[in-house]
Amino acid sequence: MSTTTQSKTGMKKLAFGMPTPDEIASGGVHGLSTRPKVPPDLMSKLNAAELEEVEDIELPTEPMTINMGPSHPATHGTVRIVLTIDGETVRDSDVQVGYLHRCFEKEAEHATYTQVFPYTDRLNYVSPLLNNVGFALAVEKLIGIVDRLPERAQYIRVIVGEISRITDHLTCLGASAMEVGGFTPFLWMIKVREWLWELLEELTGARLTHSYVRIGGVSQDLPEHFIDKLRATLHKSTSVLTECESLLVKNRIFRDRMDGVAAISAEDAIGLGWTGPCLRSTGVPYDVRKDHPYLVYDRFEFDVPVGSVGDNYDRFAVRLEEIRQSMRILDQAMTQIPAGPVLLDDPRVAMPAKNAVYNTIESMIGHFKLIIDGIKVPAGEVYSYTEGGNGELGFYIVSDGTGRPYRCHVRSPSFIATQSMSKLILGAGIADIIPTFGMINMIGGECDR
Amino acid sequence: MAETPPSPIKSSIAAALRETATPPSPPPAAPPAAASAAPAGSAPSSAPPPSELVTIKLDGRDVQAKKGANLLEVCLANGVDVSYFCYHPGLSSPAVCRQCLVEVVGQPKLVPACFTPIADKMEVNTATPRVLSIRRQILEFTLVNHPVDCPICDKAGECTLQKQYQDWDHEGSRSSIPKVHKPKMQDLGPHIVLDAERCILCTRCIRVCDEVAGEKQLTMAWRGDREQLTVAPGHKLDNPYSINTVDVCPVGALTSKDFRFTMRAWELFTTPSVCPGCATGCNVEVHHAQGEIWRLVPRENLQVNKYWMCDEGRFTYKDVRHKRLTSARIGGGRGQPAQITSLDKAVTFAAERLEKLASSGASIGLVYSAQTTNEALFALSQVAQKLIARGANIRSYVTGTASKPERADKILRSADTNPNTAGATLFAGAGASDAGALLADLKAGKLKGLWMVGADLPLAEQALADTAPIVDGLELFICQAVSDSALLRRAHVQLPAAAWAEVDGSFTNNKNLVQRLRKSVAPQGDARSHLELISQIAKKANLASGEKWQVSARQAFLQMVSVVSSSLPVGADPAQVVAAGFASAEWGKEFLPVQLRFANSRG
Repeated sequence: MSTTTQSKTGMKKLAFGMPTPDEIASGGVHGLSTRPKVPPDLMSKLNAAELEEVEDIELPTEPMTINMGPSHPATHGTVRIVLTIDGETVRDSDVQVGYLHRCFEKEAEHATYTQVFPYTDRLNYVSPLLNNVGFALAVEKLIGIVDRLPERAQYIRVIVGEISRITDHLTCLGASAMEVGGFTPFLWMIKVREWLWELLEELTGARLTHSYVRIGGVSQDLPEHFIDKLRATLHKSTSVLTECESLLVKNRIFRDRMDGVAAISAEDAIGLGWTGPCLRSTGVPYDVRKDHPYLVYDRFEFDVPVGSVGDNYDRFAVRLEEIRQSMRILDQAMTQIPAGPVLLDDPRVAMPAKNAVYNTIESMIGHFKLIIDGIKVPAGEVYSYTEGGNGELGFYIVSDGTGRPYRCHVRSPSFIATQSMSKLILGAGIADIIPTFGMINMIGGECDR
Repeated sequence: MAETPPSPIKSSIAAALRETATPPSPPPAAPPAAASAAPAGSAPSSAPPPSELVTIKLDGRDVQAKKGANLLEVCLANGVDVSYFCYHPGLSSPAVCRQCLVEVVGQPKLVPACFTPIADKMEVNTATPRVLSIRRQILEFTLVNHPVDCPICDKAGECTLQKQYQDWDHEGSRSSIPKVHKPKMQDLGPHIVLDAERCILCTRCIRVCDEVAGEKQLTMAWRGDREQLTVAPGHKLDNPYSINTVDVCPVGALTSKDFRFTMRAWELFTTPSVCPGCATGCNVEVHHAQGEIWRLVPRENLQVNKYWMCDEGRFTYKDVRHKRLTSARIGGGRGQPAQITSLDKAVTFAAERLEKLASSGASIGLVYSAQTTNEALFALSQVAQKLIARGANIRSYVTGTASKPERADKILRSADTNPNTAGATLFAGAGASDAGALLADLKAGKLKGLWMVGADLPLAEQALADTAPIVDGLELFICQAVSDSALLRRAHVQLPAAAWAEVDGSFTNNKNLVQRLRKSVAPQGDARSHLELISQIAKKANLASGEKWQVSARQAFLQMVSVVSSSLPVGADPAQVVAAGFASAEWGKEFLPVQLRFANSRG
């Protein structure tokens, strides 16, 4: 789309301040006053030669306000965008989130720390295990048991986390390709996602809402032959991924829709608080796994792919490459994973074995207190952050010493990325909104909480 | 409270110690009344002279306390967590559980904190490895023969043993020999069942019977791991304070027949309130869930009930569900069946006739029931003045349920079974008569109209049914009642009133303390508080509109306090003494029901 010249003026004028009343009165807020005025007797005066001359004059239309969403078939995320359009051009937009608000933070205050896990599943619901891990690490940091986590549990968390990251990116890329017309890559990518989810289902019992991680480790060990199956799945996934890539990266239609659209500078992206693939697409190599390694991420070799101009294509390409890097991490983790327990051996944190619960009063009490009162977390506050599917997924937890969080806040990367939507689509065409929104990858569950 | 009865030497020493201990903070709900109204024997409010203060080192920290104070109480007052089972602030300390052992520098053995008076320059350590290890070992020992009963135990969730284990031990058992079994489900008395296996032999229940109820009914029998609690030969656990043993039991050994197997403790919500059973006004926690009340437990108030309440008081919650009037009825009178109607219609009916009757100068009787809140009674007294201004001849009566002299003791139970006699007497005014005069006036036909706020008469059910026809001569009989009765069925307007647990308000007890009632559950059916019913009738009858007391119970309370304290100066007159209680009364904070699992107060 050749919207660059228009969007430049628009972006400068509107960059995230409320327009002044003067600007609104003069029409300057929509850039209308900057365009040439059309003389009233234009049509009668024009001849063929003159018509050539005024070809670039845009015929002014009244700005029109329309709704996109909240249940638009192509915005995968329930969001309402109130658009002010001038022809095909977005002159103003109001992105309204909150349609999937579920009181996550308030609910968490009324649940024991263990009971919060199912809620975290529903944050970024295309990579639930990353949320599980993020929340568990925050609580563990507050209790002070991060250093004592069993090695095998840490490796399992890395493995399930990276599988989830792959499924997250596959969903994002596939859906975006479909939205700009490429249906085949979507079907193929979702097929791969399904292979991976089948593995996770075998491991956790659920396809999507896993609730697999526990404070102090994970709920159960990997099933037999899980590693072998994962290796085989990754192997066949790689070839599907290559095919998808070949369908898209040199596809003229796809590139035309993605290249140069909704570009953002590294400064702006940092200023807006972006993290994750969106920030990396602007060339900033910030990845929590590399910069602030947690679990056993410091033991793996992997690269942090970055883009150059921060447009939709860069965001696409960064995610595509991250899938490969995740596979690299998985390869190493599968080789390195040691045998051993998967849950911390501490009765104040981990549930006792069922046999002991039924037969000894000590374990019965332990079980009872963990279920009814929850894990007693020392009073204090913590901010813990991990690399989620969309960027830095942070949990801020305040404990008052009881078994339930006094306050639990989520720094959700897609909420922070979505705040930039208005800016990104200003001056772009209506058709650009969908791929831009797709590449921001706003996940309703995580954004709205 | 009664004085501590003669008891073994140990308890008397402990009682002496307790008296010298730091006075606990005053109860939040009911601030003290005027000094003259304060109960005898309450803790002195002034701080002890400096010469009596000693400084001890508590975990390296300098702490000041009264000389000879109980070390455990000093620890708790200074936020040092020492686990204990047998100590109870309202009982003597026998130091039997050994759970509160702490280290006193210079002493070769660990000492039980609950049995150690503090002395100057004492150095106490409560968290050294030695203390923690002993604490864990005692718990392991206590648990050796404890049955795996939590899933079926009533105390689970509010159990001290569970809490102490999770806080201090959380290790597995090292014993491999089978557990010693003892009798389960032993009937100890009308209200109590004993599970001897669960008992940890702390003797708190024995001390409650000895020291609070003054009846030596429980004792320990046998020795070693066969030791068990039992009733003394030829006795039953049937004293009127027996359910307090369930409250003090740190485990589920003693359970209340009324409550057992009804609700899991952590599912209950708690609302602080006051028992309506008698004029003592014991402070209680109302434990409710799913819109129903499941039990009452005493709430600490050292001025009124300390930590206890009587068994009858615990069952007052049953009245909230018993024979309730849930919709308004009009048109009865002379025993004719009344028609169920909407509250609005009934109130309009009452108001129209009341207005007409008042302006005709007829004599109208107003009944102040001692079962209702101060706010409702105050509102009625306000309406009475308006009626007098209209020309009505108002006669006031104070009624209530029958007095039970056999019930009175020097502990908590009062012969007066009405919770608000003091308030009703105050608001009915100096010229008010009693229930006997009311019946006489009715019989003599001296009244044209009667408005009863609370259909309570000191008559048994049969006597009431026999007496009820005397109201048939009335032109207008408005009756606001919580439950159905023969008297109510003869009223022209029958208005459903909310029960004590369904309203916000206050009662004035026999020590003239004004104590807050808090709404625990929603009123049944169409029932409204007495205050609201009075307010609606007054509004429709053009007797009052938009007055402060009509806005809310809180506004009524505030207006009531200012009116009472301005109209009745301090003095020795009975009404002035009651009024002094109002002067210092506070409405208190709003209180949302807290689920016990969040309350963190029990177990």
